[in-house]
Amino acid sequence: MEHIYESLIQFWQYTGFANCSWQNLAMIAIGIVFITVAILKEWEPLLLVPIGFGMIIGNIPMFPGLNIGIYEDGSVLNTLYQGVKQGWYPPLIFLGIGAMTDFSALISQPRLILIGAAAQMGIFGAYLLALTCGFAPAEAGAIGIIGGADGPTAIFLSSKLAPDLMGAIAVSAYSYMALVPVIQRPIMLLLTSKKERAIEMPKPRQVSQREKIIFPVIGFLITAFIVPSGLPLLGMLFFGNLLKESGVTRRLAETARGPLIDVVTTLIGLTVGASTQADKFLSGKSLMIFGLGLGSFIIATACGVLFVKLINLTIRGADRKINPLIGNAGVSAVPDSARVSEVVGRETNPNNHLLMHAMGPNVAGVIGSAVAAGILLSFLG
Amino acid sequence: MRKLLLFSLALLTAVAGYAQNVSDLIIAEVLAEPDSTGVIDDYGRREGWIEIFNTSMGTVKFGGCYLTDDPADLKKSLIPKNDLATQIGPRQSKLFYASGRTHDGTFYTDFTLAPGKVVYLVSNDGRTIIDQLTIPEDLPAGKSVAKLATDAKGLLFETVAPCDPTPGAYNGDPTAASKSDQMAERDPHGWILTLVSVSVVFSALAILWFFFWLLFERPAKRRSLTSVRDDKNSVIPSAARNLSKAQKAGTPDGEVAAAIALALDMEQSGDVYAAIALALHLELGATAHDAESFVLTIRPTPNSAWNNPADGFRRKP
Repeated sequence: MEHIYESLIQFWQYTGFANCSWQNLAMIAIGIVFITVAILKEWEPLLLVPIGFGMIIGNIPMFPGLNIGIYEDGSVLNTLYQGVKQGWYPPLIFLGIGAMTDFSALISQPRLILIGAAAQMGIFGAYLLALTCGFAPAEAGAIGIIGGADGPTAIFLSSKLAPDLMGAIAVSAYSYMALVPVIQRPIMLLLTSKKERAIEMPKPRQVSQREKIIFPVIGFLITAFIVPSGLPLLGMLFFGNLLKESGVTRRLAETARGPLIDVVTTLIGLTVGASTQADKFLSGKSLMIFGLGLGSFIIATACGVLFVKLINLTIRGADRKINPLIGNAGVSAVPDSARVSEVVGRETNPNNHLLMHAMGPNVAGVIGSAVAAGILLSFLG
Repeated sequence: MRKLLLFSLALLTAVAGYAQNVSDLIIAEVLAEPDSTGVIDDYGRREGWIEIFNTSMGTVKFGGCYLTDDPADLKKSLIPKNDLATQIGPRQSKLFYASGRTHDGTFYTDFTLAPGKVVYLVSNDGRTIIDQLTIPEDLPAGKSVAKLATDAKGLLFETVAPCDPTPGAYNGDPTAASKSDQMAERDPHGWILTLVSVSVVFSALAILWFFFWLLFERPAKRRSLTSVRDDKNSVIPSAARNLSKAQKAGTPDGEVAAAIALALDMEQSGDVYAAIALALHLELGATAHDAESFVLTIRPTPNSAWNNPADGFRRKP
């Protein structure tokens, strides 16, 4: 009888109930909120469902030493987490993004590329703010990249510059990407007049297949020569796009933009979520990172919109003016920020479709954030 | 013949790759005469030693290479081929004791060291000298001669002697600041990095813009202007003159496809025909995104609302 009692006591000590802390419960609650928001509001469900469930997995209280935790060498979760830690997943996601992105909008109006550059100010604004808050330069660089609104890039850079902050940075980046319509809309309305919002842009010219094939090659050569440290991201992005546009590698392109990106997105979401163990995640630094992340999105959106207004001052001819509502699309949350441009544009003028115009700065933002990540890596890595 | 060429190419690549790997090794440090504080080998003795350093960022296997102090006998001391320990990780080093007895173990050489000697690291072909290091005549006991990196990449080295020996450890300054620390010192508020980075991002994308403006947008505008001018002076519109070979050969263009679709639509109303027309139009206009040569894919998707862009948006939060 005594043995049974001792065994039950021993078993109790291994259960989650015995090892539970309020921090674990708080993180599990956050995970449930993520899943709820993803399902009920359909905010980035492909990301928030895996991240939310990963948070629950990572915060199940457990007895250490059973070789099952994400931070225990050799465990299943730890093995899957290596893709995040060593930075394999982000370039694979970029391969898929390249294979599903149509750069026609950008090729047809190359001047819109610069809007993608202006919106990267969010990254460097957040970098300056993070330094002011007392973060080390490498940490500040990793936090700043949240402003690129690009989850894979944020994970890639933070895994190199500040591995300890990666969980908070990744969750922050993906959360704000899901909240792009909420964050960007009021800033866009605040910074533009009704007249500016009503600007109709000319229909972009049709882009030939030859241009689409040349774009990834030239684009890669130029950007990679300027910032070789962005090679893993830029190389995969443009390679994926070449697979798509070459017209002779359809199967490869379909795999890259279909099964491959789905598998990697699932794994990256789940493991990033699971890496937010309460003891490592719940800290004042994480809260500051969330605050700085929000700041970086606001700066990026404002800079994109104001930059378009600035360009408009230099453009002669009303028919060539750019609608400043596409400035927000410079942050590389593809295609969400472009959709926001379209929705806000149609609120003012129901016949004004800005989606295709906004896709130009949107995909330029992807390139811009990868370039910015490369620069930060070369300075701080 | 083709297979032979491919095989030769693969062989050459493999050989070149291996040679390149071994060539990344250098003799980073040599201590000729130990003093009473020197490192002790596996047999409890103090010997002279040779440190081999891998300058690359990949692991290098160097079994089969040679160490020697005699240029006339480059194969003097063989580094065992089949020992798995004969590999060096990226930017790491291995230590060889110059005991004069190779049977002591893998990391022992067949010769001893003395001031004035030259130590050579020889490739596994037994002929190519990968690196060499001269021990100064006046090198005191307990001091080493070492190669220290002089550039940012850590690939250029200068020989320095005498040095305090650092057997098996990095020869540079162990307290050197990281890039982040250096940045914190040089640019505490981050303005310089911000300014430089923003300039680089703008420059990179501006160059991209310039290239595409030059290569495509400018010629497209010129073509469009020329065609407008020509249309004014000609009874045949430029669109008709610029028909592709396929179009001239009788392949229907976008307008024909639209007419076919219209006829189909009138025959039996339905979105399917309009979708077919749209796909044909995209295919003929070379704008179909997933087009593989001569293949047109039309996939029925239930409830796709293909013709209403607004339905593809997420609900407003």
